[in-house]
Amino acid sequence: METTSTVNKMSRRIRIGLIAALGLAVAGCAQDAPQDTFDPAGENAQKIQDLQVPIFILAGVVGLIVLSVLTFVLIRFRDRGQAIPEQSHGNPMLEIVLTIIPALILIGISIPTVGTILALSETDDTECIINVTGQQWWWEVDYPVQDGCGGISDVIITSGQMVIPTGTEVLVRGTSRDVIHSWWIPRLNGKKDMVPGRVHNVRLQADEPGIYAGQCTEFCGLSHANMRMEVIAMDPDDFETWKAGQMAEYVAPEEGTLAAEGEATFIAQCSRCHQVNGLEDDDGNPIIARPDLQVYSGATPNLSWLMTRNTFAGASWDLLTPECRADVWDASPETVGEKYLEGVSPECLNSVDFREWLRNAPAKKPMYTDPTELEETGGLPRGMPDLGLGEDQIDQLVAYLLERQ
Amino acid sequence: MAIIERPPETPAETGTGAPAAAASESYGFFRRPVETKGWKAWAFTVDHKKIGIMYGAIAMMFFFVGGLEALLIRLQLAQADGQILSADKYNQMFTMHATTMVFLFVMPMAAAFANYMIPLQIGARDVAFPRMNALSLWLFIFGGIFINSSWILGGAADGGWFMYAPNSSVPFSPTNGVDFWVLGLLITGIASLVSAINLIVTVLNMRAPGMSLMRMPIFTWMGLVTQLLLLFAMPVITVALFLLMFQRNYDATFFSVEDGADPLLWQHLFWIFGHPEVYIIVLPAFGIVSEVLPVFSKKPLFGYPFVVFSGAAIGFVGFGVWAHHMFAAGLGPISVSVFAVATMAIAIPTGVKIINWTLTMWGGKLRFTTAMLFAVGLIVEFTIGGLSGVTHAVAPSDTQQTDTYYIVAHFHYVIFGGGVLGLFAGMYYWWPKIFGKMLNETWGRWNFWVMIIGMNLAFGPMHIVGLQGQPRRMYVWTENRAGEGFFNLGFWNFVSTIGAFILGVGALLFLFNIWASRKNPPAPIDPWDARSLEWLTESPPKEHNFDRIPSVNSLDEFFHRKYEDVGEGDQHDYKRVATGAEVIANEEAHADAHIHMPSPSYWPIVLAFSVPVLAYGVIYSSLLIAAGAAIAIMAMFGWALEPPTADESEFDPPPSGDDEPSKEVAVSV
Repeated sequence: METTSTVNKMSRRIRIGLIAALGLAVAGCAQDAPQDTFDPAGENAQKIQDLQVPIFILAGVVGLIVLSVLTFVLIRFRDRGQAIPEQSHGNPMLEIVLTIIPALILIGISIPTVGTILALSETDDTECIINVTGQQWWWEVDYPVQDGCGGISDVIITSGQMVIPTGTEVLVRGTSRDVIHSWWIPRLNGKKDMVPGRVHNVRLQADEPGIYAGQCTEFCGLSHANMRMEVIAMDPDDFETWKAGQMAEYVAPEEGTLAAEGEATFIAQCSRCHQVNGLEDDDGNPIIARPDLQVYSGATPNLSWLMTRNTFAGASWDLLTPECRADVWDASPETVGEKYLEGVSPECLNSVDFREWLRNAPAKKPMYTDPTELEETGGLPRGMPDLGLGEDQIDQLVAYLLERQ
Repeated sequence: MAIIERPPETPAETGTGAPAAAASESYGFFRRPVETKGWKAWAFTVDHKKIGIMYGAIAMMFFFVGGLEALLIRLQLAQADGQILSADKYNQMFTMHATTMVFLFVMPMAAAFANYMIPLQIGARDVAFPRMNALSLWLFIFGGIFINSSWILGGAADGGWFMYAPNSSVPFSPTNGVDFWVLGLLITGIASLVSAINLIVTVLNMRAPGMSLMRMPIFTWMGLVTQLLLLFAMPVITVALFLLMFQRNYDATFFSVEDGADPLLWQHLFWIFGHPEVYIIVLPAFGIVSEVLPVFSKKPLFGYPFVVFSGAAIGFVGFGVWAHHMFAAGLGPISVSVFAVATMAIAIPTGVKIINWTLTMWGGKLRFTTAMLFAVGLIVEFTIGGLSGVTHAVAPSDTQQTDTYYIVAHFHYVIFGGGVLGLFAGMYYWWPKIFGKMLNETWGRWNFWVMIIGMNLAFGPMHIVGLQGQPRRMYVWTENRAGEGFFNLGFWNFVSTIGAFILGVGALLFLFNIWASRKNPPAPIDPWDARSLEWLTESPPKEHNFDRIPSVNSLDEFFHRKYEDVGEGDQHDYKRVATGAEVIANEEAHADAHIHMPSPSYWPIVLAFSVPVLAYGVIYSSLLIAAGAAIAIMAMFGWALEPPTADESEFDPPPSGDDEPSKEVAVSV
């Protein structure tokens, strides 16, 4: 009796296993999490999808067969008092056949695999080049001067969010300023490590306008979890508007406004590290940030057009309140570009997270900024230190930065 | 048994040189220890069985340390924006969870079984180099303590168990945690290498008469392949660790990009070790399962030569697939293609094992003991892990999966499903052999089912959250990226945490079972109707293992001494002709006249102790380096010069030219 009940438990266990395997196969159909790996939105991710769906199904089927045979064996040959079985040491022909079958299956898999690897490494159809540079713990995105991307006449530097035109073969060239990071926008392509001292390419192409979430996927130290990014795909007309906005002239705040006080505070507190293009000192000289003297990676986000983006601090917090964020992120492909281009209005600013960040950045996002821990980096922090700003200074800076769009 | 104990009169026969000639006179500072009771009997032992037990006990302790770390990780991830651990502590926790489980639990637990069982399975009285064996054990123990001492000395390593450069360099990891990790793994690495050489020599040279390689028990075979893998893989990680040690402590620039280094160097070195390491972890478990399934199916292992050669093939091909850990690292399409295809190739010998295990049971007479349940559990769970492995041999698909929780799910099904379940099968199967008592079978079933349910609840949902885009090694995940509906990260992360705790309860049930079984009566001498030589002696075995060195006529020697084929022609009909007890009694009745065993020694533990002293010196002070070096030199001299305890008259006389030389002579040739 005991043996029988064990077998029943065993077969139940295996049924559960089968259901789990089925569930695994079905997981491919879900379209819910923004980083779903089975929800391609462009031709590169689609190529991966076309390869991985049959392979997941095949793996599921093989698993079912193996576990079914196993279940049969466990039930059929349990000890029911039968005689001592023949001491057979095997059957070489059967062995060979059962070795060749999986070998053939794997050869069948390897051919399209190699084909897809080669296809995904093509670069000669590139229509637009964008550079990304990883550093602890954010991505810089820059658009070199080129005829591609519909023509770019002046370098555009942004961070956290990459804006691309739809239907365009974008080649992302990536590297890193410190440790290895990995660029991954699951709905557009697989991931690629961005290694200091090397330049790695990854193709991106989006069929439809939308916001495609991604995340650094190579462990890069303390705040690895807070290093995210998005790709915003918009139709080429909207993209032209975005480019024009990024290349616009600096407009100083009106005299006497809170924002004007904010400009002075920014120059005093922020401009050593953070560049705002076009900012001038009292003598009319351009103010050039020198992050290379201030932080270990040598770079900080360019804040010229901060409020054209809708996330900050490594794309880990929203610049938009939840309602305004939902309005943009959940917008239809027809309207998402337009809504994104509206930027961050004063009403929509997520002032809770943004002010917390200005008040004490390392309390919000773990970073190496404690002066006692900086001996090994020559006193340079990794990340943004606590500036000790007062509430009035924060008011001024928020007002000033809200105009950076 | 050791060479130096040959009496001085017989150098011509033994081939040992004259320097050992006067070894019976004491050159040493100390006599050799003689205690057979109390802590000294354990601290200075060179008995492979005691060493095996200590390996197992300490490894089991580290299993619970690593498990505790896992539970803290799962608590942190149970919901969005977890607050249990800081980012810094979380990074230390997952680094040490992996390091502990791989280097301080699974590997030494496999070493425990290899140490205990391989000499018994090949009919030997000890390993080839008993004092080196003790050295391995103590290096492992001190290395494990050394790594974990970082918790109270400024924080543990925080770079992930893969410790990618340049994130492991001092500017990015300024505490001493990574130094402890590097030096600790160097120490345990010496332990693995010494032990590998020891066991390889043991298996190749000390098999009982008649035991050809193809009559070796399958666990010994898989153990041999594992040791060969260690022999070639450990030097690679040792080189990598040395480079990193010099990078961090002596301003070398092996991984400094600004000085022209390529950080991918580390990745290649790490994974050339790291992939064979996977097989180092699972092959011993495969060996155990390949012992357990035939015993409880009452059939020989199906296709023994295929299982042997597929194991060896895994060993070879395992060195040619490392870059599949680097499909996203930017190797270029040709390299990626080659490694993708090679990775698929290794699925073939792995599949052979699953097929052979299933066919072993086919037509058998299956008894579902706890050991058998764990073995069957291994087949099921490892099949799942193997198939998810195929999905990321497909490199483009892997670029979506690598560094997500899908990979975490995969390798837990492989390492826990394919490794740890096998080790537990070995526990239940060999417990009566090692301790002379059965473990309680009812509690054993509870142990199995709670662990299996826990493991699938803990690791199964990781497939889902990984394919939904949750990366690994993140101290928090966020609602913004969690999605909604059936596959949302929130629900499945929570399930996974629940599962981890159930798994923890399951593991504790094993300890409970040991406690509950403490007063069990002595186990039957052949409780499972077993097949291989380790059962051809009492349980637990005497210090010298076998009263008579068995002579071997077939694979499954013990089975064939108990059962004879009384069928005619092609008709086979097995009848029991003797009980295990009778077979063993017959051996004892013909005990060898002269048996001598290696004496205990003070020096392995002293020499092992000097190494962590050196390592602390690298971190803190060159004075400590000098102290460690002094202890090491003293220990080596003591080791070389210590006397044998035994008097000359106790040694075997040289063989008189008969065709079956005594085991001792075979060893010393």
